[in-house]
Amino acid sequence: MPEVFIDGKRYEYDEEKDEMLLQFILDQGLEVPFFCYHPSMSIPANCRQCMVKVGTPVKDRETGEFELDEDGERKIRWFPKFQTSCSTRLQDGMVVLTQESSEEVARAQKDNLEFILINHPLDCPICDQAGECPLQIQTYKYGPEGSRFEVKKVHKPKHVDLGPRVTLDAERCINCTRCVRFTEEISETHQLTIVDRGDSNYPTTGPGETFDDPYSLNTVDICPVGALTSTDFRFKARVWEMNQTPSIDITNGKGCNIDLWTRDNEVLRITPRQNKEVNDYWMPDEGRKAYERFNENRVDRPYIKLDGDNQSNTSWNNAIETFAEVLESNNPGDITIIGSPHASVEENYVFNKFFNLLGTSNAKFTPHVIPGSGDGFLITDDQAPNTNGCRVIKLDETDEQSIKATVSAAKVVIILSDDLIGRDILSSSDLNDPYTISFATNNTETTKASDLVIPITCIAEHAASYVNVDGRIQRSYPAKETKYTNRRLNLEMSEGRLDRFGTNFDNWVSEENKVDCLPIWDFLNKLGDRLGLDFKYDHSREIFAELSNSLDILSDVSYERMDEEKGVQLPIKQEEVKA
Amino acid sequence: MADLSFTQEELDEIERLKDKFPTAKAATLRVLWLAQNKYGHVKEEIQSLVAEALDVPKSHVHGVARFYTQYYKEEKGKFVLDVCTCLSCQLCGGYDILDHLEEELGIEAGETTEDGMFTIQEVECLGACGYAPMLQVTNGVYVNNLTKEKVDTLLENLKNGNMPEFESMAMPELEKRNQAASK
Repeated sequence: MPEVFIDGKRYEYDEEKDEMLLQFILDQGLEVPFFCYHPSMSIPANCRQCMVKVGTPVKDRETGEFELDEDGERKIRWFPKFQTSCSTRLQDGMVVLTQESSEEVARAQKDNLEFILINHPLDCPICDQAGECPLQIQTYKYGPEGSRFEVKKVHKPKHVDLGPRVTLDAERCINCTRCVRFTEEISETHQLTIVDRGDSNYPTTGPGETFDDPYSLNTVDICPVGALTSTDFRFKARVWEMNQTPSIDITNGKGCNIDLWTRDNEVLRITPRQNKEVNDYWMPDEGRKAYERFNENRVDRPYIKLDGDNQSNTSWNNAIETFAEVLESNNPGDITIIGSPHASVEENYVFNKFFNLLGTSNAKFTPHVIPGSGDGFLITDDQAPNTNGCRVIKLDETDEQSIKATVSAAKVVIILSDDLIGRDILSSSDLNDPYTISFATNNTETTKASDLVIPITCIAEHAASYVNVDGRIQRSYPAKETKYTNRRLNLEMSEGRLDRFGTNFDNWVSEENKVDCLPIWDFLNKLGDRLGLDFKYDHSREIFAELSNSLDILSDVSYERMDEEKGVQLPIKQEEVKA
Repeated sequence: MADLSFTQEELDEIERLKDKFPTAKAATLRVLWLAQNKYGHVKEEIQSLVAEALDVPKSHVHGVARFYTQYYKEEKGKFVLDVCTCLSCQLCGGYDILDHLEEELGIEAGETTEDGMFTIQEVECLGACGYAPMLQVTNGVYVNNLTKEKVDTLLENLKNGNMPEFESMAMPELEKRNQAASK
């Protein structure tokens, strides 16, 4: 095995991987500061922050032996100047001194930071990036204590709307070119470039162009300073006020791994979570907008249709009683149940199981695919996060016409969170005759036309799994409390500073953002009690365990395994996926 | 400037330039230059034209054009006088020359005369410290060892459409060395 010595410690490396020094150092859990390097993009080495001292051992040309000094140590020929570790390829026997063991290197990094900071505005107190800013963190760790620069800083455009979603503060930019490389190499729209020169340069779009890249907000994530900011999230919250909860993007079939950032049970932003198998470091802008549907326009308390089209809030007890009466007064053969590719595996499973116990036929579902809307990268034709999940638990896949036909033949229609009217599969007149019950997270055309609406938790409020277009099963965590959950009691929920130290008397704590809804299994437990069914699930974990025991395809899958391996690839054939 | 386009000859020339480089991107500088010679500037619409002709991203052409001060991103006078005020010229009276020019033409540095004849720009070192103070006419000829009289003559000549001749400057030190070597 070839070897490399970092700060006097020996490491072995794999020559096949052809790794750069900086990446190798980071992989060992060590640290060298850097700004422009990004593991998924090309290496320009232009921030000069990752400088280290590098040398190679001197070999006797004839014998091939290492030359030794008086102490019997290998003689090292140091490179004449410090090297940027991001662009230095590992060599056998290489000796590296980082800032940890070399004062010279620490000094070089400090001086480089002083240069970078010359024209940086240092407006951290009002900057969105503060708290998660590589420049801020590394200045604290490795930077100079103050600036010796006494003249006026260079002024640049302070508020540039680069595109509909990204706002630039050019003064904060350190010209690492990560955003430019992103548009060149990852999204390939080539929309950004660096303009002007010397200390007045900054990134902008080409003439007459706007930064409307469908992946534009990724540049905000990779910006190592607060130069590129999300127009939507700008000045909304400080990073340290929010909780970060891992989740899955539900706006399309790819199932990008994401983090939900919440404060006071309101999802404020969504950022991608790295998963090499699915989305790497990226996600489409569309997925980030999903925070709106977690917070706004939610079904809050059950709704019941009174006379005509007037809906009114009702109590849970009344909802359960009405539901039970409808089920009791109808023949199971007249009840149609429709599952949803927009709901999780667990929801679809308990939904189907509950009504099957009453004697209904298997739940149907129809995939939500818009051909041509995908781009072959992270945006898929499939608009739903769990189409494959419905197939895994063997719901009946039907096309749009037959759904319409079954609905018109039924006396009772029960729909699991799928906006069939909004999707133009049904029209509201189709739901006039049958008694329609919707389990829904958000108010839609379909809930408006329903006779009874049961509010259920959305992906931000429950732990549940979803199978993406490639057959990978991944799961969410509860990020947002409902009226009936509590962060402190649910160990799966993250607790931020404001949650831990807040009380009901603090002005940053409110009840408003907690939605009055239940996980579907909780509601079905209650309904089962009323109907005298043997049906009880305390947690989605229990449901998944049952699924895992009964289905071969899920036999070795568990929440623990999904957590550890960032999702599990199921053996699903690709042609089945496309459908 | 209603209709912006390259003529067939210009397009042929662009093809020729493209063939000289391994990638079309590499020909950006030359094609921008061609465009500036034609239009007198490379405003954003010209940059787009160049990008289309080369089939490279607009943003790339924009970045290149914005990087080099020699590309004019706005309309300039017929003659652009780049007066050096960097260290050597400054010490030898570069600012006196600049002030004199400003007074003569009635404009400030960075501005263009109303008749569209002259633009004055204050620039950094043009690498002619040996014959300071100096200025450059429209990215071309250097006028060296300036005096106020020389500036007046230059302006007079330019107004009559006479560009100054290229002046081969002797380098005294080098000559001394050459003489010593030949002895």
